[in-house]
Formats: sequence, structure tokens, C-alpha cells
Amino acid sequence: MIFRSFQTKLLTLMIAVLVLLQAATLIAVHVAGERTMRTSLGEELRVGSRVLDQILSERGRQLSDTVRVLASDFAFREAVASADRPTITSVLTNHGSRIAADAAVLISLEGPVVADTLNGRLVDKSFPISRLIREAEARGESSGIATFDGRPFQLVVVPVLAPRPIAWVCMGFEIDETVLKEVRRLTALDVTLAIAGANADGGFLITTLPTESRRDLLSTARRIPVSKDRDQSIRLGDEMYQGLWHPLQTADGSRIHTLLQRSVADAARPYRDLEVKIFVLSTIALIVALIAAMFFARGVSRPLERLAQGAQRIERGNYADAVDVKQRDEIGRLAVAFNEMRTGIADREERIRYQATHDALTGLPNRVLFLDRLAQTIAGAKRPGDTVAIIMMDLDRFKEINDTLGHHFGDDLLKEIGLRLKQTLRETDTVARLGGDEFAVTFYASERFTAAEMAARLTRTFEAPFQLASVSIEVNASMGIAICPDHANDAETLMKRADVAMYDAKRTHSPFMTYEPGRDEHSLRRLAILSELRNAVARDELVIHYQPKIDVKSDKAVHAEALVRWRHPVHGILSPDEFIPLAEQSGNIGMITKWVLRRAIMDCGAWNAAGLHLTIAINLSVLDLFDAKLPAYIDELLAEARLSPSKVVLEITESAVMKDPTYALRILSDLKNRGVALAIDDYGTGYSSLSHLKRLPVDELKIDKSFVVNLRDASKDDILIVRSTIELGHNMGLKVIAEGVENAETWRILKELGCDMAQGYYVSPPLPIAEFQEWLASRARIARNRSSAPSMSA
Amino acid sequence: MLRTLVSAALLLAAPIASAATLAVTVRNARGAPVRDAVVYAIPEGREVGPANQTAVMDQKNRTFIPHVLPIQAGTAVKFPNSDDIRHQVYSFSSAKTFQLPLYTGTPANAIVFDKPGVVALGCNIHDRMTAYIVVVPTPHFATTDKSGRLTLASLSAGKYALQLWHADQRSDPAPLPVTLTSGEQKQIELVAR
Repeated sequence: MIFRSFQTKLLTLMIAVLVLLQAATLIAVHVAGERTMRTSLGEELRVGSRVLDQILSERGRQLSDTVRVLASDFAFREAVASADRPTITSVLTNHGSRIAADAAVLISLEGPVVADTLNGRLVDKSFPISRLIREAEARGESSGIATFDGRPFQLVVVPVLAPRPIAWVCMGFEIDETVLKEVRRLTALDVTLAIAGANADGGFLITTLPTESRRDLLSTARRIPVSKDRDQSIRLGDEMYQGLWHPLQTADGSRIHTLLQRSVADAARPYRDLEVKIFVLSTIALIVALIAAMFFARGVSRPLERLAQGAQRIERGNYADAVDVKQRDEIGRLAVAFNEMRTGIADREERIRYQATHDALTGLPNRVLFLDRLAQTIAGAKRPGDTVAIIMMDLDRFKEINDTLGHHFGDDLLKEIGLRLKQTLRETDTVARLGGDEFAVTFYASERFTAAEMAARLTRTFEAPFQLASVSIEVNASMGIAICPDHANDAETLMKRADVAMYDAKRTHSPFMTYEPGRDEHSLRRLAILSELRNAVARDELVIHYQPKIDVKSDKAVHAEALVRWRHPVHGILSPDEFIPLAEQSGNIGMITKWVLRRAIMDCGAWNAAGLHLTIAINLSVLDLFDAKLPAYIDELLAEARLSPSKVVLEITESAVMKDPTYALRILSDLKNRGVALAIDDYGTGYSSLSHLKRLPVDELKIDKSFVVNLRDASKDDILIVRSTIELGHNMGLKVIAEGVENAETWRILKELGCDMAQGYYVSPPLPIAEFQEWLASRARIARNRSSAPSMSA
Repeated sequence: MLRTLVSAALLLAAPIASAATLAVTVRNARGAPVRDAVVYAIPEGREVGPANQTAVMDQKNRTFIPHVLPIQAGTAVKFPNSDDIRHQVYSFSSAKTFQLPLYTGTPANAIVFDKPGVVALGCNIHDRMTAYIVVVPTPHFATTDKSGRLTLASLSAGKYALQLWHADQRSDPAPLPVTLTSGEQKQIELVAR
């Protein structure tokens, strides 16, 4: 926590290092200083002791000279020579005071004291400090320190010359504070002189110390061990001293000690001053270093902080702001790289987002984005009366186009369609490719511009053929319209409803349909069917209904078309229209086709065996044409049913043949070679060219029921188409069959037009096998009756 | 009384018998000859005649000349000043205390030294000027030369107390009794202490 930021870390480290270094320096200086101070203090004290000795010795010499001069004074000598004691005493006092002597004694050459200034205390006694006399005898004079009356004196002995020595005169000078102060002046040491046990109150003591220290010294003096020439620490009051005991050489052997001492604090002052200076310098250095470090750390951490903020912005998805770091160092380079990375990420994310929301092929929004936009559009339509419409769009026959002309072509077509749709729409509208050949459009619809108008407009965009790579192709689309809030209030449901509407449109071959409420269930049923279809065969839910084809001329039932039905356990009987496309989409068509082939061929085999000479017609899906094993399978079935191939007609839709004409031709030829007849189903709805048709090995043409259903005298167009088809077929040697014959008029027209066979409710609806067989039987009876009756006109 | 008789005998014998001579060498304890030592012989049991002589203690170049001047008691000594500066001659010795205040030339009156003893002379303004007048109670005295020798001549036979003095001695040594026969040439070594 404390070391959260880089700056703090750096600063802390810096401070720690500096403080440690400087503390080490200070300690080293302090220790060295202390040692040096102690050593030099000891040296000072020793020098001081020598100075003290020197000063005393010098004083002795000076005193000697003075006394010598005094002793050679004629009057003095004369007085001494007088041998009159009072005279001598008075001259001693007189001359002694001239040189400020504190005592004067005249000693005879023989030894006894002649006179003194001490009230004759010593008279006639031998001089107590005999050593001085002996020394004077040897050297002509002497001086020395001695205790006298418990006080320290410096004594000088010189002869009284007349001119030969006639006596010794001794003059005494007390050693007082002046002397000590002189030492102090020269050495800066405090000097104390003490005579232990010299008098009753414990000793004599003079000192240069201030009065209060003197008191402390007196009270502690007895406790201070007198160790010669060795430093020792002495505490006086609050002050520490370093002291050195220095005994004086005395002439009388008395013990006079001097204590030289110096306040430790005093001696240490220069060192303390030095330490303070170093400390101050260290502190200044520390502050300077800190400021420098702070600037440096800020120079590092600020841009880092900015980079971190930049990274957080990127994390939140904000790529707009560049990190502003102007430095040219590593961090600056990092910032530049960071900004490059930022724009890189932004670009890439934009690309990914685009890819995630757009269709790669057409560049249109994909399902995800479309749902999003749709939701937004719905959310944007707040006012009553605002309606949001979507149009789902599926291209007709796109799979065929794709398979026929190749995927590249299909892709190019989708692109072109996307382009056209986009050009058709307004700015606010959204068109998306939902996948495959599915497109969707969402827009605000209004009374002025309804969804149907939009659908119509879109339809018109498909009117012009698409010109792609030298191929011109017409494409149609089925559209389903759903409107919010009429059909749903949310995007998902709205799309589902539009989808349902679109399938309706496809089913009814309408360009577009609007969702009808309730149609939803159909869509759900489709899904259920789709999932159940797989099991339909296994559960034996499929049945075949047979519808006869009547030879128009002979009026005989010659063919039976096998039509598959699904007896669904829930939905009841389902027509092929409802599940065959689903089977084709889900890949189950092959299974169903095989089942139908087997059942129909077996039934037909049974009929022929029973003498009913019918040809069985079976529908093949476009996908069946791609099953290479199919011809062999049919061979097996024929063999099993002992049925001649000529009794089988396989019906293929015109569009199925057109899907891959080359391949279809190969399969059809294969089947044809086995003796199976082939028929083109739903003729007229596709785009088969005649030349194409000519190459196909077919035997029959089935005219699509859309041309036949409304065939009556009034509908000239249909008659024309049917007639031309019949003529065409006949010209090519094909039989022509009409589907969807529902009334007698149609029948008559077909007969007049020379149609070979007819099929439809007018003759018979598709019937279950039992009923079909019943129908055949009853028809046979009628035919027998008719052999007596002139004609049949049912 | 006895002393009177002896000296009388000596005096009587003198014309008849020839005089004895005493040669004395004075050395110090280390055997070195001592200069300016005074040796004098005091006849035992005989009176000596009074001294009617004068002696001179000259002062030249700030020096007393001679340094040691032995005289018989009663001799008058003159203190001429041969320097062109003044001197103040004094003595605090008990044998003769006197002083001659600053003077030049020769003072009119000689000073008579009538008491035996050593008189240390000094000049009050020239501390280094010292001299000794050794006042002895006998006419038989002499001063050693630089080789420490002296001769006492014309001594009549008889007993003498031989005394030695020199400036550095601490006290008077005991007198050495010497007996001289007529015409005797006696040699004596003395050790100065």
C-alpha cells in the first residue's frame, strides 16, 4: 500500500540510501572525531602538564634571579652582616616585600636559621627544607616547590655574598591562582592544585574552575582517584571533563597534585561544529537529491500514469484519445508504440466489429446487425401510428442457379442484388443479407408509403435481368411482409412472421405476401414435420395414392401416377407439397423416393400379374437425378416385381432437368437405356428451350396444370399454349399429357386438341390403392356395359 | 709562660744556629696543586714581634692584586686604585669590617688589620672583584705559586703550628705541628680540603 506508486518507491529508496549513507558518514565522522578529540585532548593535557612544569620552573628561575639581585644589595648585605637579629629580620621583611615574597628566611652557613619573617618560628632551628640548602651549596643557588603552612610555595635559596657567602637567604613565593591562570591562558586547560590532607578540612585547593565547579570538585575530589599521568573522565555538575593528574616535584617531598582538565564539550565543540556543518550539508544534499529524484520520478511516473490511463481508456473501448507523452526517451518511444497499438487495435476492432455485423460477400449488415437495427427501429417508433415494417426476401431458384452456373456466379449475383436493393432503399431503411439467398429490409412504413408499396418497389428491382459475366439471368424473389405493431412487437417475432409470410408467397408463387395472423402455426408445423419426416418411413406413415391417366382417344386408364401421402398421426393426411420440399431440403428425399419406387413398382407388378395392364408413373425429385445408384436400384425392383421396364414412367420436372442439363441427360439416358419411359412434369413453368428438350431422351410431356385448370373455350391464351405444346410434343414424337382436368369442357377441348392422355379430378382424384383398384374395377364394368352403350360421358 | 720561654730559647739560639727552611706544597684532594693557598707557621711558646710593615692591595683592571694577601696582624694595608674608574672597597668580615666609599687614587690612610682572620674584600660596584686579606698572628707566612709551592725561610728551630688557608676551604683545618731543627730544610705536603 505504502509503495503503491513508482514515484513513492523511487523516492523511498532514494531517501533510504541517502539517509543511510549520510548517517554512516555522520557516525564515522562522529566516531573519528570523538577518538581524535579524546586523543588530542589527552595530548593537550600532557602538553599542559609540561607547560605547567615549564611555567613553574621559569618562575623559579625568575624568582632566583630576583632574589639574587636582592641578596646582593649592599644595604641588605650590610644588614645581614650586622649579625643583629632584629635588623636582619627587618631587612628580610623590607627586601622581601620589594619582590613580593611571601616569606623570607636567613640561614647561617652552618645550618641554623638566623632570622625569619614568620615571627621567628624557625629561628635557631635548622631550616626544614634542607635539600634546598644542600642544592644551593652545590650549585650556588636552588629553587623548589614545597608545602609550607599547608600551602604551596616556590622557594628560592641564594647565598648572601660578602663577597664570599656569609649566609643563605630563602625567599618563598606562594603558588596562587595567578600561576594557574597563566597556565590556563597558555593551554586553555583548567588547572587545579591540591594538597591532600594538608590541613584539617581535607586539603588545600585552588583552581581556575568557576566557583560552582570548584564546589563540585571539592565534593568529588576525594573520590577522584589520583592516577598519575593517566587521563580520566570527571563529572562536575552537568559537565564532563577529561582530566590528568600531574604531581609536582617538591623539594620537601610533600604531595602537591595538579589536575589539568578540559571540558569535553568544549574540546568537542569544533567537532560538533563540523558535525553540524556536515549534517546541514547532508540535509541540503538530501533535499536537493529528493527534489531531483522527485522530478525524475515524476518524469517517469507521469507518462507511465498517462499510459496506464490510456490503457484503461482502451479497455473501456475508447480509442479516440492518444496518450500525450512528449518525452523522447524510452518512455516516449513506449508512448509512440502505445499510440500506434491503440490505432491498430481500434482499426482491428472496427474491422472485427464490421465483420461481425456485416456480410462479407455483399457488405450488407448481417442477421446480427439487422436484428439490432430492427430492435432500434422498433424502439424508435414510439408515437402511435408509427409502424415498422420488415420484408423478408428469398430468391427463387437460387440453389439451382448456384449449382448450374457455379458458386462464383451465385456470389456475384448476390452482390449485384445487394447493390440493387441498396440503391432502391432510402437512407433510413436497412437492408441486410441474413444468409444464403435470404435478404431482409426494415423501414418505417406509413400510410403514404406502405409496406406493400415497398415490396412492390423491391419486386421491380428484379424485373431487369442481371447481366453478369456475359450471362443474362432473370431472378425472382419471394417476399414476406410483417409489420410492427400489427403482427408483433419485438424483432424476433417480427422476423419469424415475415418468414412465414415469405414462405406463403413462395408457396403461392406470389411476389410478396403480408403476414396473416395465425399463419404462425403453419410455420411451426413445418418445423415439426421436418423433424418427424425422418421417422415417417420407419413408422410406415407414408402411403401411396394412385391417380389414373386416361387415354383420351380410347378412354381407357392406361397409366397410374403414384402420389405419395403422409398419414401424419397428428396433422392427418399431408400432401407432398407440404413435405416433399422439406424432404428435399433435409436430404430425406432419396429415402422417400426409394420407398415410393418400391411400393409403386410392387403394386404395378401385382396389377400386371393380375391382368391389369397399367403403366406406373413415379415422380423423381431433382435430387434423385444425382443419385448414381438409382438406375441399378430400379433394375432390382423391376426384377423383383417381374415387371417390364416399359411399364414404368419416371416423371421429372422441367426445372429439375434444367438444373444440370448435362448430368441429367446422362442419368436419363442411363434410365432410358434400361427401357424405362421418361416424362417431363410441370412442362411450361420452366425455361427449357426446345433444343434442349430435343436432346432429352423423354417419351412424354406433362403440361402443367396451371395451363389446364382454367382451360375453357373463353381462354384463348391457354388454349393456344396447350395446343402449341401438344403439337410441339407430337412433332417431336412425344406423348402429351394434361394434368388438372377438372371438368368435361376441359376434357372435350383436350380431346379436340389431340392430347394423348388426361389426368385430373374430372377423371378421378388420387385414391388409396384399395379404392383405386375399386375404381378400376367399376370402370372396367362401365367399359363392358359401354360396349353395348354408344359412349361415355361421365 | 711556657711559650715565652720557648721563644726566648729560639731567640737565643738564632744567632748561633742557622735558620731552617720549610718548603710546602699544597695539593687538593685530587692531587692538583692549589694556587693562592696561604700557609703560615705559628711558633709555639715564643712571642712574635709586632708587625710594623705596610702592604698594598692594588686595584687594576677591575681586579684586586694580589688576590690573596697574607699579612701579619697589625699590618697597615693601602688600597690604591690604579684604574681610571672608581671602586668602593668593603669588607663585612668579622676580622675587619670597613668600607672605602667610591674613590680614585690612593686613600690617604692605610687600614690597619690588627685582628687575625680572613677578610673578604669586595667592590660594591664590581661584584666580580674579590680578594682576601689573610691576617695571621705570625710573620712566617707565604702564598703558593701556581705550582702550589711556597717556602717559609728563616725559621728558627723549634716547634710550629703549621696552618693552611685557602679560599675554597669550608673550615679551618687543624694546625699541623712541625718541629724544625737548626738549618733543617724540611719539605711538607699539605692537602687542601
